[in-house]
Amino acid sequence: MNKETSSYITGFIISVILTFVPYTLVVHHTITGRALLITILAIAMTQLMVQVLYFLHLGRGADAKFNVYFFAGTFLTMLIVVAGSVIIISNLHSNMATIDQTKQIIDSEGIYQVGGELTGACHVLHANHVVTIENAAVSPAVTVANKCDTVTFIDKDTARVQIDFGTRRKRAPYAGLTDITIAKEHTKTITLSQTGTFQFSDNLRPTVLGALAVVDEQ
Amino acid sequence: MVEHTSKHAAHEVAANERVMFGFWIYLMTDLLLFSVLFAAYAVLHGNTVGGVTGRTLFTLPLALQETILLLTSSFTCGLGLLAARQNKKWQTLICFGITFILGALFLSLELKEFSEFISTGHTLQTNAFMSSFFVLVGTHGLHISSGLLWMAITMGYILKRGLNGPLIRKLALLSLFWHFLDIVWIFIFTIVYLGAYV
Repeated sequence: MNKETSSYITGFIISVILTFVPYTLVVHHTITGRALLITILAIAMTQLMVQVLYFLHLGRGADAKFNVYFFAGTFLTMLIVVAGSVIIISNLHSNMATIDQTKQIIDSEGIYQVGGELTGACHVLHANHVVTIENAAVSPAVTVANKCDTVTFIDKDTARVQIDFGTRRKRAPYAGLTDITIAKEHTKTITLSQTGTFQFSDNLRPTVLGALAVVDEQ
Repeated sequence: MVEHTSKHAAHEVAANERVMFGFWIYLMTDLLLFSVLFAAYAVLHGNTVGGVTGRTLFTLPLALQETILLLTSSFTCGLGLLAARQNKKWQTLICFGITFILGALFLSLELKEFSEFISTGHTLQTNAFMSSFFVLVGTHGLHISSGLLWMAITMGYILKRGLNGPLIRKLALLSLFWHFLDIVWIFIFTIVYLGAYV
């Protein structure tokens, strides 16, 4: 077996390992969040270098240094384009509220009129309803309430609850809220400023399923 | 006579180097195209307008299968080029034949995934997330398709005329292109598929 064949075999074996490692990390969630993202990106970069050296044989050959310069230059441009876009747009995104976010601000601040027009937000709160999440079930399954009542979610389980509004397939925000997160053994209260029937469920535990039916008092 | 042959060989080596460098420049500009599409995906992947996110949509085992198929095809493509440089016609054809089959399998898995998304109502027009996904992954798929076409034509030439200098050069460019597509896929696998589950 000559040198070039063994170079391809080495590159292939390392690449297979560098494919399975991030896959396993993501599937088993050994680490989470930003640390996981940085790890899998670092592994992808490593695999890039492995393939560039073992498959593309960059830098080998009589007049290869221009190829290396060109590659380095392109790589730098690429990093600037990608990182620059992500930083600029995420900054822009957090400084511009969407309609959902605006609704949420109006509700949480109790802004009931803007420029003389009613926003539908509640400025006087009425009765309080309690929704308990225990043993991966919601009780009561359906909460019937009047507009401007409040609902307090209580998480009695040992797991964190993340409630999404809408169905699993199609999310539909409630009064600008797409989801609420309740830490284990904690509570969260929301104001019912929007009328209608709304489903909610935990996106990780499908048995945590309930609904809010909000009617107008008049 | 001897001097003439060596002059000719030196001329051909120089021509090869020039062509390789030119193709390398093309690949680097193609990399810039993909980097812009990656930037668009990175920016837009959260904009689902209440629709499903990548976590609900993507199946990781399928993405892993695609990755392994493409990686193996990149490997057999390299072996094919080595065989061609040693003037082994049939070994070259077998290696590139395997590469072609693996590439075609990859493409069929990708098309199957796309058609599943579209049949469940997640199309290019659904939201910014789906648009950027289809454009990024679709552009890669388009490159794979043209690579397969190129591969089929080159294999036809080898079958008809046997291996010669210009054909070996074509194979070298083709395998450069194919390795490059595998490298781009590593980032699609990591950022699009694995990234959705982080």
